[in-house]
Amino acid sequence: MLDIRNLHAKVEDREILRGIDLKVNAGEVHAIMGPNGSGKSTLAQVLAGRDTYEVTGGEILLDGKDLLEMEPEVRAAEGLFLAFQYPVEIHGVSNTYFLRAALNAIRKYRGEPELSAGKFLGYIKEKIQLLGLTPDMLTRAVNEGFSGGEKKRNEIFQMAVLEPRLCVLDETDSGLDIDALKVVANGVNALRSPERAMIVVTHYQRLLNYIVPDFVHVLVNGRIVRSGGKELALALEEQGYGEIEELAGASA
Amino acid sequence: MATPDTLARPEEPLIAGHFSAVADRLPGRGLGWLERQREQARADFRRLGIPTTKHEEWRYTPLRDFSSIDFAPRAIACDVPELASHPIYGIEAFRLVFKNGVYDPDGGLGECPMGVRVLRLADALAQEDPLVRDHLGQYAKAHEHPFVALNTALFEDGVVVHVSRNAVVETPIHLVFASKTSHAPFAAHPRVLIVVEPGAEATVLESHLGFGGVYLSNPVVEVIVGENAKLEHTKLQDESLEAYHIATIDGLQGSDSVYTSNSVQYGAKLGRTDLNVFLNGQNVECWLNGVYVGMGSQLLDNHTRLDHAQPNGNSFEVYKGILDERSNGVFNGKIYVHQDAQKTDAKQTNQALLLSRNATIETKPQLEIYADDVKCTHGATVGQLDAESTFYLRSRGIPEATAKSLLTYAFASEVLERIGNEAVREITERMLYAKLGGGFPA
Repeated sequence: MLDIRNLHAKVEDREILRGIDLKVNAGEVHAIMGPNGSGKSTLAQVLAGRDTYEVTGGEILLDGKDLLEMEPEVRAAEGLFLAFQYPVEIHGVSNTYFLRAALNAIRKYRGEPELSAGKFLGYIKEKIQLLGLTPDMLTRAVNEGFSGGEKKRNEIFQMAVLEPRLCVLDETDSGLDIDALKVVANGVNALRSPERAMIVVTHYQRLLNYIVPDFVHVLVNGRIVRSGGKELALALEEQGYGEIEELAGASA
Repeated sequence: MATPDTLARPEEPLIAGHFSAVADRLPGRGLGWLERQREQARADFRRLGIPTTKHEEWRYTPLRDFSSIDFAPRAIACDVPELASHPIYGIEAFRLVFKNGVYDPDGGLGECPMGVRVLRLADALAQEDPLVRDHLGQYAKAHEHPFVALNTALFEDGVVVHVSRNAVVETPIHLVFASKTSHAPFAAHPRVLIVVEPGAEATVLESHLGFGGVYLSNPVVEVIVGENAKLEHTKLQDESLEAYHIATIDGLQGSDSVYTSNSVQYGAKLGRTDLNVFLNGQNVECWLNGVYVGMGSQLLDNHTRLDHAQPNGNSFEVYKGILDERSNGVFNGKIYVHQDAQKTDAKQTNQALLLSRNATIETKPQLEIYADDVKCTHGATVGQLDAESTFYLRSRGIPEATAKSLLTYAFASEVLERIGNEAVREITERMLYAKLGGGFPA
């Protein structure tokens, strides 16, 4: 589904991604782990099309289509979703209004009829239980005054509503206590399916106890230095990133 | 304060010719008090002249083009068929309609609610209504403001709204001033007097709607909110984009009263509003909410002045401007806290969103405080749309243009949300969608 080849990206004059290669197939869950500053979040933002990062080399293909050529909204319509590490508060726009505008924009892109306000409401009522959201969160402005946990749940809720094929979760565990983490992980697990791929970006192994990955990749200094199964995450938890960073330093 | 600048004004403005042109058709002739006001106003205008940008209060609002226009003292009769289908007619209200400054006897809708008298100013003068004699011209300052002087000298009609003591009037009183000209430019000077007696409550909606053409609309509105009374006064300015709208509102509040002014401005080539409220009692609450949207080369200028004259007064002022293309905004917010006005709490915010490199805003808060135990804050921000918010919306599939309109709409809707009357709020929101070019589902 996703094919990242020799991806290089920089912000201002600092090169952050220095040649990433990654293949993700439908149905797979890949975890990307790494120390602070390794480029994990940059990779997530580049996938979604944030223009503060400049791609200087390589390519990204989504089912053979050139992702880097697409505007962020086209990527979303093509089925990519980024759950933000820091979801943005948007005053004056209700969550419901926002999501209907988003869903209908995506449906329009795909040549499907738009959903009326009534039909949309019926549709999201099914989804709302998934994340244990309270109905008042739907009428409130997008993320405004939401707690950290509510913001992250709202991200996963949006993911459930938009039904993407490729989900990228950027440090969804950061700032969550264990109960909130379980709620969010349950929501994510409910969305796992053979047609859907996920990339879970995280600093800590903790989240991976609840969202069990098929593959784990360790990102250090803008490169994937090691890949393996879920046991790699456990090994990292015990040893820390120190040893692996040294290894990466030696090979650089 | 404006001072005459004879060097910049070598000749008498063209519009002063209207004084003699309309003299024999002005209402209220023979009323000594009014004739004296008019005569003084003519002298005031001749002394003040049309202000140039050398006047501090008009520094960013050039009237050069305006000064050279030969406005006719009255419009050639012009039908405004668009008016009846205007969304604002969807509001259930008691309505008085003026077209090009002339009362339209067929325009009214609804029945005058209990507890309020609504009459044409020309009729009130013909009947020598004592309310008009007691209040008209007592608050608007013709000697300081040339356009108030022009209005006082030249008004031919307008409205008197008189809410009786302790009356609670739910139905909005809607004053419609529609303008359209396909012929020569014309000038109209509507005059409005709103008196809310003690303990009463009312809602007044003032709509200035343009349907094309060059004209000057120069309304002056005097508002008296009695002790313990409540008034929501919403003004919608959606004049023709070639028109000049130069307006003055002068309010006076008694003790324990609440006055809410909502000012929504979408139209006019040049729109200037002077809004002055004198908080002349204790425990007064005053809300000034403003939204203005400029496109093309529109210039929208708001000068507000709040006088806290007595203790324990609260004022909350929020003005938000959206300026696109080559449009210009001016905001000048003065808060004057008099020596006796201890425990004043005044909060002023002005925010402007500049959507283009060529749009500008001149913003100036002015606090003058002569009491020592007060809380006064002011804040002005000028900015662009937040890149992170735009990206967030786009990452969910919303196209860039829609994302931007949505964020722009949201910026202004915070102020429109404050409009208490639901129907009025919805109409102003719908008009904002339309003004911003829509592009997203309602």
